[in-house]
Amino acid sequence: MKRFVGPVLLSALGTVACATPQSAEPPRAAATPVDKTSGDLRSPAFFEATVPDRVERSRALFLEATRVFLHPRCVNCHPAGDSPMQGDAQYLHDPPVWRGSEDRGVVGMECTSCHQDQKLDLARVPSAPMWRLAPRVMAWAGQSAHGICEQIKDPARNGGRTLDRIVEHSAHDPLVAWGWTPGAGRVPAPGTQALFAEIVRAWVESGAECPAEEARR
Amino acid sequence: MTVKLQVNGVEHAVDVDPDMPLLWVLRDVLNLTGTKYGCGQALCGACAVHLDGQVVRSCVTPVQRAEGRAVTTIEGLSADGSHPLQRAWVALGVPQCGYCQAGQIMTAAALLAGKPKPTDDEIDRSMAGNICRCGTYPRIRAAIRKAAGIADD
Amino acid sequence: MTEGSGGERTTPAGDSREAAASPLGPLKISRRSVLAAMNVGLGGLALGLYRRCAPAAAAGGAGLEPNVWLHIAVDGTVTYLCHRSEMGQGVRSSLFALVADELGADLARVQVGQADGDKKYGNQNTDGSSSVRGKAFEDLRRVGATAREMLVAAAAQRWRVKPETCTTRDHQVVHVPTGRAVGFGDLVEQAAKLPVPKADDVKLRPRNELRHLGGDLPLIDAPAFVTGRATYGADVRVPGTLVAVIARPPVVGGRPLRYDESKALAVAGVKKVVAMPTAKPPYGFQPWGGVAVIAENTWAAMRGRAALDITWDSGSDGTYDSEAFERELAASVDAPGTPVRNVGDVDGAFGKAARVMEAEYHVPHLGHLPMEPIAVTARNVDGRWEIWAPTQNPQTARSIAAATLGVAEDQVTVHVTFLGGAFGRKSKADFIAEVVLLARAAGAPVRLQWTREDDVQHDYVNAVSTQRLRAGLDAQGKITAWLHRTAFPPIGSTFGPVDRPSADDLQQGVLDLALDVPNVRAEACAARSHTRVGWYRSVYNIFHGFAIGSFVDEIAVARGQDARDTWLEFIGPPRPLGLAELGVERLRNYGASLDEHPVDPGRLAKVIQRVTELARWSERKKEGRALGLAAHRSFLSYAACVVAVVADARRGVRVDEAWLVLDAGTIVNADRVRANLQGAVVMGISNALFGGITWKAGAVEQSNFHDARVARIGDVPRKMHVEFVPSELPPCGVGEPGVVPVAPAIANAVFALTGKRIRELPIARAFGV
Repeated sequence: MKRFVGPVLLSALGTVACATPQSAEPPRAAATPVDKTSGDLRSPAFFEATVPDRVERSRALFLEATRVFLHPRCVNCHPAGDSPMQGDAQYLHDPPVWRGSEDRGVVGMECTSCHQDQKLDLARVPSAPMWRLAPRVMAWAGQSAHGICEQIKDPARNGGRTLDRIVEHSAHDPLVAWGWTPGAGRVPAPGTQALFAEIVRAWVESGAECPAEEARR
Repeated sequence: MTVKLQVNGVEHAVDVDPDMPLLWVLRDVLNLTGTKYGCGQALCGACAVHLDGQVVRSCVTPVQRAEGRAVTTIEGLSADGSHPLQRAWVALGVPQCGYCQAGQIMTAAALLAGKPKPTDDEIDRSMAGNICRCGTYPRIRAAIRKAAGIADD
Repeated sequence: MTEGSGGERTTPAGDSREAAASPLGPLKISRRSVLAAMNVGLGGLALGLYRRCAPAAAAGGAGLEPNVWLHIAVDGTVTYLCHRSEMGQGVRSSLFALVADELGADLARVQVGQADGDKKYGNQNTDGSSSVRGKAFEDLRRVGATAREMLVAAAAQRWRVKPETCTTRDHQVVHVPTGRAVGFGDLVEQAAKLPVPKADDVKLRPRNELRHLGGDLPLIDAPAFVTGRATYGADVRVPGTLVAVIARPPVVGGRPLRYDESKALAVAGVKKVVAMPTAKPPYGFQPWGGVAVIAENTWAAMRGRAALDITWDSGSDGTYDSEAFERELAASVDAPGTPVRNVGDVDGAFGKAARVMEAEYHVPHLGHLPMEPIAVTARNVDGRWEIWAPTQNPQTARSIAAATLGVAEDQVTVHVTFLGGAFGRKSKADFIAEVVLLARAAGAPVRLQWTREDDVQHDYVNAVSTQRLRAGLDAQGKITAWLHRTAFPPIGSTFGPVDRPSADDLQQGVLDLALDVPNVRAEACAARSHTRVGWYRSVYNIFHGFAIGSFVDEIAVARGQDARDTWLEFIGPPRPLGLAELGVERLRNYGASLDEHPVDPGRLAKVIQRVTELARWSERKKEGRALGLAAHRSFLSYAACVVAVVADARRGVRVDEAWLVLDAGTIVNADRVRANLQGAVVMGISNALFGGITWKAGAVEQSNFHDARVARIGDVPRKMHVEFVPSELPPCGVGEPGVVPVAPAIANAVFALTGKRIRELPIARAFGV
């Protein structure tokens, strides 16, 4: 029986609308597949034991941290374009929402119109204080580990933070915290926020080295 | 627990769980039934009200978030149906079943308060969270433009 | 209507809703200011029309009551009880104008109430696009004509002139030769003493005296809608009401094995937990079963339900799987079915054909998804039951309530609220049976609230279907043979053991399809039902129209021909088609006679020509933008649609512009017809791009608007052109026919744009979005 077979690639349709060259809508599938079965994040002690060279260890620690950065719970709100993603399959957020001039949504559809400060009983909409998009300069979707690393170290692109502040942010920010307690059956980021912060601290203390451009975890 | 909130300019003290969604406080406790339940998951916009002028979806907004702030519902948008959007909605015969329209109007009111002359794209983006199953979208667009004083092309 | 201490509320029936025990808040709306604020268009008509309806009770004061629908007071105010439910089609803003025009009333002095469910009002079932067509049109006129004749008789008596020398207009009886006039109000007491003429005996005025027929009329309830004062099911406030939410079995016919009542009762505000009776097939309008939580307010009831910790026994349909069933349907249409239409010799013609084309089309179950999830209130006061329901069918609601309670029907009153959309869902009385059981169990008034999840997962979904179409073409490419096999679990399966569609079911788009093909056969193929199937705006026409509309386009493509030309050739020249020409034994024809409403390809051709003209069809080939065309007869009307489709980064494809033309014969309210057609385009877009309720392991997979998706504003073209054909032919259906050709037009445009033929809805799935 004749049926429609196979997905149609968007590229086959001709022009795909892009707001700016850098804000092309992200690919649907994650750049690196989500490992749903592994909640573990390897600790700094593991890298201490297995990577004696400081520079290599620093890079390996950052690469480990990208398992959090690039996890859907985090990268979905660090898009390159103007809309967040949703779900482990990282489709476009529905209802349709847009970044707005302050990364907090457009009038009438502000992020906090729906997303609350605290977890909700019975409602599945994710909630954490000051729900919003990361600024465009902090886009991680489609980035290599090297690219994310450079961005995080660059005060012009990391919100003017020192590396110590980065560690603080990783350890204590409540929106970051949401990634590990996302509620409503969502797959949490690997490990725990505390362990993640330790990894980031260990990375800073080992020299904050960036992985090579082609490095993948 | 007693939660104090101001709704349409009137102070209320309600004895409710602070986590009770604002929607049910409005509807079941204050009997302001103009704000509607459509989905309970912030997906449809029927429950849209203003909190200090910003749209919130009251079905997922805990009433304690409204404490000390001003809530405006459709009943409070104007004293007598005279808001330009309400007038435009009536003039153009926008509603069909009418159920989604309170939420539509509240969202549109916030839009026009923030952007008095929105572009078509801005209208569609701000209204994207309000579903209408009867399909009144063409007239919603036209009524927002009319209320904003944007001439037809 | 008395001014309350708080804001005034508007129910369709006025004060039949209880005055609130607690006030509505401080908002005061004065009648004068509401009216003054309204934009007065339409020659001043609007001002008086925006009047809240008078209560039926108040209308029972002194005056003339020639029949159950009309009351004329001594001050001249006319109250008309609308006997059909308002669910967005504008019935309340339309029927009264027809009655008033026949009467000769000033529309601004007519108030519209809402009739309770009672056989005395005639057919109150708001379904099947039938509120104006058929006998209704004349019956409505006779309602007004009866009052007119009595008022004229009274005036003629007073003036000692012949009644034939008088007429009515502008709310007065006028003696034509002298111009002498008297207002209705001044006549009612005298008229009330006169005998009431039989409705069948009254004379209708010439059609051209129906001043508003076919013109634009304002939406009388618009002021209530835009100020939040319209009362829907959940807005009714009866003192002492408890709120109930039901946990229903995920699988139809299932039941709870275990649940923990104490956990629900531990939730603050929860009062009672009630087991619902298990539903047994055929399900009909039985309650769905499960466990109900009754509480002080909606939030407490919802939380109580979530706490129940239920383990379910899934019953016999625990295996319903949409993917597997699709394979079953494919197998069903692979074999001959029951022939229900036959012209010539299809098998012989296929044998001789130069080319045979074949295609199969699949449309999933579709959900109604009205914006208002069901909410209904019932209370019992000294054995008298009162129900406030957003029901399309208040008489069935009444009889089901009575039967469920085991009481006489005259012990039950059903009030009809506004309906926040229905599309067929709210004509079913399942929720009526549920609420009366709960009110009885609670010993208090109960408002039963369905959540959105309940609405998605316990719908009387439109039938899922697979169609097989086969066409034989001769050497010149002319279609010489046409075979249509259709398999779907029909609505009858909800009410009895039915294993395939009947000939009556196939009247929707298969038997009333006009085609100029010498050999035609249609067969009804087996399909077992695994869930409650019901009627959803345009019903079986949705998938019949999708299949035929797509297949005709495929034939056009195969022949390298303009699809419009193919359509016009396919349906043949204008000619009324009777049973013999159609090749059917009988045609239910939506309850109308074939004499009055023949299958008329000429009317279909006209809407095809008009819509393609509007869409500049001859310029349809453009870079990056493609047009698609489809047409369909349903509910006696003829609809044709063209859409323009472009690529879209978010959705794969997007409808960029749409044209829809409807020939519905005589129409009453032009503005509401246009609004309805706009809505039909949007609903067609939803059906085509996103629609589909699917099952896995016996349970519905979707739960809310994130996965039971519908069109949002950005999915709808900014340029939409809808038009109805001006006509004096008898009224045909309006509410549903516009929906049907939209989905196939979209699929055809998608093919023209991308080269991909989509034979299975929803289109979004084909694009992976």
